[in-house]
Amino acid sequence: MSHESQKTSAPWPKRLIRLAVLGYFVLFALLVVATGFLRGFFTPPASQPIAFPHTVHADKLGLACDFCHSGVEQEASAGAPALSLCLSCHNSIATDRPEIKKLLEYERRGEPVRWERLHALPSFIHFTHQRHIQAKLTCDACHGAVEQMAEVRRVRSLDMGWCVSCHREKGASRDCATCHK
Amino acid sequence: MDRRKFLQIMGLVSGTTLLSSCGSESNQKELISYLVPPEDGVRPGTAAWRVSTCSECPAHCGIKIRLREGRAVKLEGNPSHPINRGALCMRGQAALWRLYHPERLRTPLLRQGNGYQAVSWEDALDHIVRAMSEASAQQRTNMLLSGSTTGSLAALQERFAEACPVTRLPEFEYFSHAALRQAYQLLYGRPVLPQYRIEDADLLITVGADLLETFVSPAGYTRQLATARHDHDLHWRHIEPHLSLTGANADQRLSIQPASEAILLLWLLQTLADSRRYVGQLPPQLRTALPEISLDRAVQATGLTTSRLRDLANSLEKARRPLLIVGGIATAHGAGQQTALFGGLLQWLLTAPWQGLDFTQAERPERIGDLRDLQQLSDTLRGGAVGVLLISRADPLRHAPGDWKFADNLRRAGLSVAMADIPDATTRAVDLVLPLTHGFERWDDVEPRFGLHSLIQPALAPLHETRSEGDILLQLQQRLTGHSESGNYETFLQQRWRKQFSASARHNFFQHGHVVTAPAVTDASLRIAQTAVVLKQISLPTPLSTPVAVISGSIRSFDGRSAALPLLGEIPDPLTTITHGTWIALSPHTAKQLGVSDSAELRLTSGGFDLAQPARLQPGLPDGVFSLPVDSLISGPPGIDPATGEALRVIGSVKAERTGKQLPLPILSGSPSQQGRGIIPKPIHRDKNHHAEHRALYPEPAYRQYRWAMAIDLQQCVGCGACVASCYVENSVPVVGRRDHLKGREMSWLRIEPFYDDQGQVSFIPMLCQHCGFAPCEPVCPVYAAYHNPEGLNVQVYNRCVGTRYCSNNCPYKVRRFNWWQHEWAPPLDKMHNPDLQKRTKGMMEKCTFCIQRIRAAHEAAAKENRPIRDGEVIPACAQSCPTGAITFGNRLDPDAAVTRIIKSPRTYRVFEGLGTEPAVYYLRPN
Repeated sequence: MSHESQKTSAPWPKRLIRLAVLGYFVLFALLVVATGFLRGFFTPPASQPIAFPHTVHADKLGLACDFCHSGVEQEASAGAPALSLCLSCHNSIATDRPEIKKLLEYERRGEPVRWERLHALPSFIHFTHQRHIQAKLTCDACHGAVEQMAEVRRVRSLDMGWCVSCHREKGASRDCATCHK
Repeated sequence: MDRRKFLQIMGLVSGTTLLSSCGSESNQKELISYLVPPEDGVRPGTAAWRVSTCSECPAHCGIKIRLREGRAVKLEGNPSHPINRGALCMRGQAALWRLYHPERLRTPLLRQGNGYQAVSWEDALDHIVRAMSEASAQQRTNMLLSGSTTGSLAALQERFAEACPVTRLPEFEYFSHAALRQAYQLLYGRPVLPQYRIEDADLLITVGADLLETFVSPAGYTRQLATARHDHDLHWRHIEPHLSLTGANADQRLSIQPASEAILLLWLLQTLADSRRYVGQLPPQLRTALPEISLDRAVQATGLTTSRLRDLANSLEKARRPLLIVGGIATAHGAGQQTALFGGLLQWLLTAPWQGLDFTQAERPERIGDLRDLQQLSDTLRGGAVGVLLISRADPLRHAPGDWKFADNLRRAGLSVAMADIPDATTRAVDLVLPLTHGFERWDDVEPRFGLHSLIQPALAPLHETRSEGDILLQLQQRLTGHSESGNYETFLQQRWRKQFSASARHNFFQHGHVVTAPAVTDASLRIAQTAVVLKQISLPTPLSTPVAVISGSIRSFDGRSAALPLLGEIPDPLTTITHGTWIALSPHTAKQLGVSDSAELRLTSGGFDLAQPARLQPGLPDGVFSLPVDSLISGPPGIDPATGEALRVIGSVKAERTGKQLPLPILSGSPSQQGRGIIPKPIHRDKNHHAEHRALYPEPAYRQYRWAMAIDLQQCVGCGACVASCYVENSVPVVGRRDHLKGREMSWLRIEPFYDDQGQVSFIPMLCQHCGFAPCEPVCPVYAAYHNPEGLNVQVYNRCVGTRYCSNNCPYKVRRFNWWQHEWAPPLDKMHNPDLQKRTKGMMEKCTFCIQRIRAAHEAAAKENRPIRDGEVIPACAQSCPTGAITFGNRLDPDAAVTRIIKSPRTYRVFEGLGTEPAVYYLRPN
């Protein structure tokens, strides 16, 4: 017990230092908690200008992915469908639904739809869909089961470790310059 | 838990918290859909090409414009175009800098007091129309002065001038070749410049004509010279008073007394006309009309020795297909007329037997005037007889001699209007400025040679509120007369093309960017009687007394018109390696006499000529000759030659003195000498045995399918710097400016190093990352940003780089460049950025990548078709632009590749081979 009494009777400047050190770490602990809360609070769910249901188009109707994302087989970018492609059906189908009305409104204004991009890679990365499709990768390998998602979200991290793990597994190139511009 | 553990855990937790909050997902791009996909639409990530024509100088080379996402990002020479056959000079490469220049004129500007105010196009045109009508009422003449114009625009100008009515003045070009055109007019009755069949000649003698820099069609001539030297042994001698890049590259350069070319040519003409081979070929009338000149007089006047002169005459007599080209500096002095005339006659004598001149596809400067015409305009302006003066694509104020007071006279015009794309001396002096669309933003055509129509095709929509000159003229005509040729210039062109070309020719025109219509058969026989009359009156000139100042054209700015493009300021002058600045070059010996060194201010005076610029020591320059590029002149030339109307570019009896001031001058080369390091070795340096056998500490890199390598033939390289400019644009290398260059912080990935020997002979070597097999940069990188890739490239992973600069310190070739700043690309220059490359930021090391983006594209094209990359499929930007074809790139593991074949040459060596770095850049030393 003498040990403890010794501790309590420690001179107050020393206690102050201890307090400061403790305060420093407590501050960090609080920061961790706060970021956790605030992140969820402030990042709004990616909301698309039109609530496009992949469940209807890809699952129920069974449209192939490249029906709309036509660049996927030949080009770097899979691309979003042109408004004219949407309207090739929706000029006559389901024109009374609110989301389709939004679509028709875009056409009337002559304004392109600006979709929120979910699978954007950093600008220093060279990525091409064509090579991955050629290597017989299916779309869901990276994009998940989109046809099951009422609202599409990103299911893979798309970070370098995740890319490299797949490249290693499949025996693809692991040269930095393959992807890094 | 003890204290130590607690601290460890808390440290870990706080650290990971901080790290995990690094990197954010904001700034994600949007995915924008088309309304309707266009047929030949923009496919993201895919390049499209448009054929068009360069308008940076009157040569009009054919180009291809590379488009990415609707933006022009790179120019390449059009390989099928007859003028340049794929070559593109540095000024052509810089055309994109004109298009995206942050200081492009964006709206019409009207002078208000001392400043300018933006006005609408309607107001601007109304203003002109009102002034034109007023002028007509006051009996003042309205005038149009433009830069060199051919093709449809020339036709439209003529109709506009007739309908309005406006007096169309002779066109203004500083390099007007007026003396030459006068000589050809006299000799053949045709004021044009013929095609010289350089590729078929076996001896070429050029007198003053700077074929590689500014003479008529530099990229085209450079390519022709390279082909001739490659295919057969062309022997080329260049005669000039100073030292130009052209002279430096000739097989032999003869320094001649300034302004004594006429005497040399006369002596040669006389000697050859009487020689065994050519005797009786010069018509007797002309032979007798020629002034007589003795060998002694020629020796005394030209400063060449008797044996040199005899040797020149002998070689001309012996050659089977000799060719003589006179021009440039040789005709830009008081004796220019005689030089051009004697030169023309000698040229006729030498080329007539083998038809070395081709007048059918002659260059078309026939609408161009000379400085006498400009002087007349200046006088007319002073008399107040000019109503509206429209100036288009020309900068007469920059080039009018100061004593004309052109700017003051211009103010006496009713209204002066300048049409231009970027501000120049003229736009700063006129009452109204109209911004023109760039050639990449409009439809047009040019006809630089008879029968050769070259297409100007838009690559993108106009960036600013600009209009094309054709549209402006049509709209003015509509307002003035109530009627115009057609609604707009595009319709005018379409109608004209339909009339001019057949359907198949039109197809070729749009497909290949040019079409050749059958030129009229022309009579190009010598007009003996007229020539004899002139010859009898001609007097022999007296050479200028030394020291002289020689004002040379510039490969970087032509006649000064490209000086405003920042890229060209950044690329060093090939001979002096000066960037961002003007200078006076003088020989080291003269410098010693004057007591000046590099950067010391030197003042030259002669009569009314007075100029102070920093000095630059130039080995190889004759003593007593001061050589300065045209940019070094603050105002126009000191005077004009009244006989020809050419600017005086050789000034005699110059007084030079040191002012005592030091002016900082960015000189990129460390030393004019190789310091015995054998960078460009003489055969003696080939002894490899003095280096110990190389043993590697690291394992040999194993290459499976590809080992990229480059061969550079120094015999072909002329040091023109086209590769440097091409590299800058392709790789979006930042242009850092004068202040950084003065600190030695240049960013060029590829540089041309000139090295002088004791005799002042210069050799050039392009220096770039050598992509060493055992690269010294790689093992010293602490973060694995510099590494060796399986195809032999030394890759720099930019976002791994932390900027220690160890790699740069360890590189024996000094080719790595460090970003000291976050380099800003002032809009709209940012549109020029190549999207295949990452934007480098502050603190990153960068260097030549062998155009890895092009290798990657080839890999993708090959993978699509399941085949290896073919030889010639990857052409780096430098190799593509090179006018001489000196650079070959390919896979060294492919035994049939061109590069593998070339590096077997006995001339092959590698720089600093003894270091054991095993570079992948193979040089072929000059013979």
